[in-house]
Amino acid sequence: MTLFGLDLDYVACVVLFCVGLYMLVAKSNLIKKVLGLNVMETSVFAFIVTSGMIDGGQEPIVVAGSAPPYTSPIPHAMVLTGIVVAVSVTAVALALIAQIHAHYGTIEVDELKELP
Amino acid sequence: MKTFALVLVLVVAATMVIGIAGLPPHGDPDGPIHTHVGARYLERGVAETGVRNLVTAVLLVYRGFDTFLEVVVIFTALVAVLALPSATRRPPPARGESTAAPRRGSDDAVPVSPVVFFVVRLLAPFIAVFALASLYRGHVTPGGGFQSAAIIGAMMIALGLVFGREHAARLVPHGAKAWLQALGPLAFAIIAFVGWRLTGAFLGFPADEAAHALREAMVVVLEVAIAVGGAVILAQLFMALDAPS
Repeated sequence: MTLFGLDLDYVACVVLFCVGLYMLVAKSNLIKKVLGLNVMETSVFAFIVTSGMIDGGQEPIVVAGSAPPYTSPIPHAMVLTGIVVAVSVTAVALALIAQIHAHYGTIEVDELKELP
Repeated sequence: MKTFALVLVLVVAATMVIGIAGLPPHGDPDGPIHTHVGARYLERGVAETGVRNLVTAVLLVYRGFDTFLEVVVIFTALVAVLALPSATRRPPPARGESTAAPRRGSDDAVPVSPVVFFVVRLLAPFIAVFALASLYRGHVTPGGGFQSAAIIGAMMIALGLVFGREHAARLVPHGAKAWLQALGPLAFAIIAFVGWRLTGAFLGFPADEAAHALREAMVVVLEVAIAVGGAVILAQLFMALDAPS
């Protein structure tokens, strides 16, 4: 499905990415920044998986009863890697935020800037 | 800040829209993503790897290095989180008003609803069976090691939330905990050296027909290690972030 010559599925990914980017830049709460980062990551995963889809295609599992065309297996494998990295980044970021909260009592960036 | 963010988002959106306008339409069987190496994997993947789920074949056999380092990445994340001093266990800093705020973190801060308690306890065995099925049938249905790890990890986190972390921590045998956390990277390293001995290539898989059973065993070992190690790491990450006071 296209709109002004643009693929609507890809446009949805761009919109989701921009929502995440806005959260990352505009919010001062560190947890919300991490959430924004996760939304951006999700949009990238959706984009990569979408690019590997094929019209009327099946999942790339070759068993009795399955027939070509299969969707490309590479984007799926890449996204699996990406999800694991995203989980790792989120975990470390949250642990650091917990440290910041324990030391300074706040996770608002504008309050942290005013600390002596 | 809000204006700056809006301008930035609009600039990025415009750039990305220009980018996607130049992409080939997706869903087209003749698109570049379906005609290069992906087509070769689809054509010869089953014959070359013996794995019917081609996502697993790409993940473990064709692009094993990628997955090896992926399990190293999540293991490193766990090491980093555990290396930080436990933020919630430490007494609050003795500077100014931040000491006044009561700290949450103890298990009984909010009593668990009996409905939630019952439902989690009822569903936990089914979730575990689903995870095992996802692992066991992963070669002929969508599923596999990472999916199974996510399901088991989520089950352990749910049990930890409901029963308290002390109970959930007992799901992982204490003596084996360190080994289970490192199971993914360890198994990959061992399989990589086995492959090196057999084929001369690090993380190589024997390609000939006679070694079919051995190749399958190597894939199964990796899948199980990813599932168990990943689940333990996910649960540990959660417990470390939310340690009781």
